[in-house]
Amino acid sequence: MTDPKDAEADRRDARTDREDARTDRESAGLNGDLPELDPVIHAQARLRVVAALSQLPGGDRITFPRLQEILRMTAGNLSVHLRKLEEAGYVEVTKTHRGRTPATLVHLTQRGRFAFEEYVAALRTLIAPGEEPS
Amino acid sequence: MTSTDDESTFEDPGEALRLIEREQVNTLRHVTPDPRLMYWPWGLTWLISFGLSFLRFGPDGKTIVDMPDWLPLLALTGLLIAAGIFTGVVGARASRHISGPSSRQGAAYGISWSAGFTSLAIIFGRVSEHVPDEMLGLLWGGGMVALVGVLYMAGSAIWDVRDMFVLGAWISVVNVIGVLWGPGWHALVLAVAGGGGLLVAGFVGWMRRR
Repeated sequence: MTDPKDAEADRRDARTDREDARTDRESAGLNGDLPELDPVIHAQARLRVVAALSQLPGGDRITFPRLQEILRMTAGNLSVHLRKLEEAGYVEVTKTHRGRTPATLVHLTQRGRFAFEEYVAALRTLIAPGEEPS
Repeated sequence: MTSTDDESTFEDPGEALRLIEREQVNTLRHVTPDPRLMYWPWGLTWLISFGLSFLRFGPDGKTIVDMPDWLPLLALTGLLIAAGIFTGVVGARASRHISGPSSRQGAAYGISWSAGFTSLAIIFGRVSEHVPDEMLGLLWGGGMVALVGVLYMAGSAIWDVRDMFVLGAWISVVNVIGVLWGPGWHALVLAVAGGGGLLVAGFVGWMRRR
């Protein structure tokens, strides 16, 4: 279950991020600079994690082993990258119990979802028109 | 297996976009059931059991192929149960280890199917003795299939899947046409257009996610 306070904080963060990003984009436009790519997401392994999590409906949580199976990553490797994403506030990792067995649940925060969307938008602006795949 | 144990980045933004798309498609394949496995069992059930019903209880009370009169209903019941268990297992496997709003949506939708069919079975069972024999097929088949059509359309409202709405609308329309056409013909319409529609829906859904 999502703590309503966390969800509210997520929403607030996402809002501020959105505003920040807008000013960033505007200034980028003014100076004609290329957008900067989010270093947290701009690494193969973490990009794969975020891209996969983005396909789950907002608010859904997935267990660690299932995510590992989908991503075909080792447990140690996935843990390392999840920790980095968690530090950035992009994913939330919760420990819970399903019956008697402990379970680790992962979900993309609204902040993470927004950061991913911004990252994809930045990639698209980096691609020269006409070169864009599909 | 891709190398993932590093911080490697991309030289080319196009490469990053392709990686994102690959990973998203892969995830979707894992967490949503194969449409063929979800629709084909029902399509075959309708094709076989309504087909048998048409052959045994044809238009104007004619028997086109001689067979025991209990066979079509037994086939329908058996196949419905098998298809229900099969698609239930396939659906549950896709959403296993995922919790949250989507599993509650799925549960509410699943319960709606059971509640609808139970209600209709009780109502039809109660009035069946007062309905002429040749109209029983229309009452049970027509009523249940009307519910199926509506539930598929409602499902498209939950998951925002256009194809599911088209399927539900198609089933609703051919069902009404069959009912108006009359006993015997109704079973033929459900077998060919209804069962066929379900088979096509599974195929189209599968093509879309390839």
